[in-house]
Amino acid sequence: MTILGEIALWISLPVALWGAAVSFAGGRLGRGDLVLSGERTVHVVTILLVLVSAGIIAAFLGNRYEYYYVVNYSNRELDTYFKVAGLWAGQRGSLVFWTLLLSVFSSIAVFFNRRRNREFMPYVSGTLLGILSFLLIVLLFAEVNPFERLGFTRFNGLGLNPQLQNYWMTIHPPTLYLGFTAFAVPFAFAVSALGMLKVWNMVLVVLTFLLTIFATFLTRSGLIESVHSFAENLTIAYIFLGFMGGMAIFAAILIIHRLPSLRPENQIQSFLSRESAFLFNNLLFIGVTFAVIWGTLFPLITEGFFGETRNVGPPYFNRVNIPLGLMLLALMGIGPVIAWRRASKRNLRKNFTLPVAMGVATLAVLLVAGVRHGMALATFALAAFVMTIVVTEFWKGTKARARIAGEGIVSAFRGLVKRNRRRWGGYIVHAGVALVFTGLAGAAFDARVEQEMVPGEAMTVRSALGSEYRLVYESLSHTRPRVADDVQENDWRWTALLTAYRDGERIGVLRPEKRFYPVMEQTSTEVGISSSVLEDLYVIPKDLETGTDRATFEVKVLPLVPWIWTGGMIVAIGTLVGLWPPRGVPVPSAVRERAVRRPVPAGAAG
Amino acid sequence: MSVLIGGVLLGAGVLLFVLEPVFSGKSAPMYDGDDVFDEGAARRRVALTALRDLEYDRATGKLDENDYGQLRTELSREALEHLEDEGGGGDGGRGPDRASRELEEEIAELRRAIREGMQCGACEHLNRLGAQFCGRCGEGLGREPRMPGEGLS
Repeated sequence: MTILGEIALWISLPVALWGAAVSFAGGRLGRGDLVLSGERTVHVVTILLVLVSAGIIAAFLGNRYEYYYVVNYSNRELDTYFKVAGLWAGQRGSLVFWTLLLSVFSSIAVFFNRRRNREFMPYVSGTLLGILSFLLIVLLFAEVNPFERLGFTRFNGLGLNPQLQNYWMTIHPPTLYLGFTAFAVPFAFAVSALGMLKVWNMVLVVLTFLLTIFATFLTRSGLIESVHSFAENLTIAYIFLGFMGGMAIFAAILIIHRLPSLRPENQIQSFLSRESAFLFNNLLFIGVTFAVIWGTLFPLITEGFFGETRNVGPPYFNRVNIPLGLMLLALMGIGPVIAWRRASKRNLRKNFTLPVAMGVATLAVLLVAGVRHGMALATFALAAFVMTIVVTEFWKGTKARARIAGEGIVSAFRGLVKRNRRRWGGYIVHAGVALVFTGLAGAAFDARVEQEMVPGEAMTVRSALGSEYRLVYESLSHTRPRVADDVQENDWRWTALLTAYRDGERIGVLRPEKRFYPVMEQTSTEVGISSSVLEDLYVIPKDLETGTDRATFEVKVLPLVPWIWTGGMIVAIGTLVGLWPPRGVPVPSAVRERAVRRPVPAGAAG
Repeated sequence: MSVLIGGVLLGAGVLLFVLEPVFSGKSAPMYDGDDVFDEGAARRRVALTALRDLEYDRATGKLDENDYGQLRTELSREALEHLEDEGGGGDGGRGPDRASRELEEEIAELRRAIREGMQCGACEHLNRLGAQFCGRCGEGLGREPRMPGEGLS
């Protein structure tokens, strides 16, 4: 299987290059056969990369310690689950995984556009295959081949970074990669269908893609101190930098060349309109982006100019991004209520009265309750404002549709969403974001207690929301679990057992852990977590003394954290509603501003 | 050995699948099939979508009647201009989807409105079919009001 994976990797490069070439040629020459060949290539590359990934996973599962990559990220003691995750545990595998995800997204894009946007789809396939070819060239020739052999077979591998031996740490790369890699797809559409987007849309799409590459360069190169800098190979970082530069120049030339057709046709008619709200929204996002870039690059900049490295920490990001975030939150509420093109003061007053009242009421209630944290107060008030607007919008829209179409409330609601999925999906996203913000603002009220205990003792912590948590330290145990009889232990565990009570009621048993990984000679900490609707309880073992069983725990109560997760899920649902392909073929926005004259097929005239 | 055979088979399969269109002349569609939009159709559709948003904004109380009337006139004119670009032929029956048909009906209604004098002579506001007075300025729309019962004569 592993060798088949390696063969698949070698086949995929010439195939992807062929596909890129015939796609562009087919588009240029109007040759449907070449275009079809190019589109088939996209799917073939996806299948080949599935084989490549399967090959890597097989090498991990089969303890094939003749491979450099497997030796460095696995050992016999490792649990099967973490061996599978070995695919993205290191730089080489991550690159394969990135390429795989991008090819899957490319296949989806090509499949869903098999009858749509045909004039520029060849260029989309070509661009995506071009990016895929680049990644494959890196994989094969930049000394990061995941199938590189050592020349001898080690008995055992070096093991996996203990930090990654935790369920959530294991799944974080794929979940983030999903979004990160996908930005190549809008980029491909943007450069292929010039004219479909306004200038600044185009610039934003291109910039986003370039920044994903830039971020890869920064973290992988080790220029910025990062847990993600594998630092085994700097060449690859500079290859990425070069690729980004090339893409930037390519996109800049395209944009300048097509500038006349990209100029916006419609002027913003009024300052008080949804268009201008959108504009502010985008400016704020750009502001946030550059604040983050500045903060990230700050150590490099200070080193370059003043010779000493200075870091900016959370205070900088909080100070800059919280106000920008709050402005975004406000706009999220204002946008839907303000009319397209022209909104009048009278209408605004009418539509804003209730939401503003709700925001002010929230503020008043919290002030009376004794909340004094300015930013948190602003966040809660704005979130209430946004939520009221989203709910009112749904209600008004449903009522209006029920009246006009003479339908019942339920079918009017369904019809409403169906008719304009993007609008309503967007509103759902707004509601989710308001929840996320509320959850984030909860951080202002974290409660924290640290205490040393022996079994039988208890500690209490009072949360900002008024609950009293009591933790009884029951026992400390030591285990050395093995995954199989013939291997050593992967880790030694000291597990504390605590019974948790909230306001006198037993809510469960927490098992925070300290682990020691003998192979890597590293320790790690597993936090005991108990989640409720309103808050999370964390128990972090600081110091565990075997023998006396004396232990120090840090206990934190984090209000509203579960809301961040719920909000995130609502955002995902809203996105699905917005992106769900409608039945029938929708208006391809691509043709909006584009002057495409298609030759009339024979027999169709008259 | 089996690996070698596997590799060769994989390579051959890939080659065959990828190159087949070039040899057999099988072709991917180069233009959108059922749902072709040219410039005029696209612009008309954009204008009609904007009209819909306008209706929605009005129905939910976000637009003043005055602004609504003015914007509606502008957008309707825009939609109709592109309709006329096509030589009045429209593009009926092009798409099988419902959204398309609904739009076509809206276009047809606008067209009838023009033909049957629903555009206000005073302020050029485009009124709904069957209106007797202009929804914006109140001007009569140049037709005798029909009395019940005499509609068919």
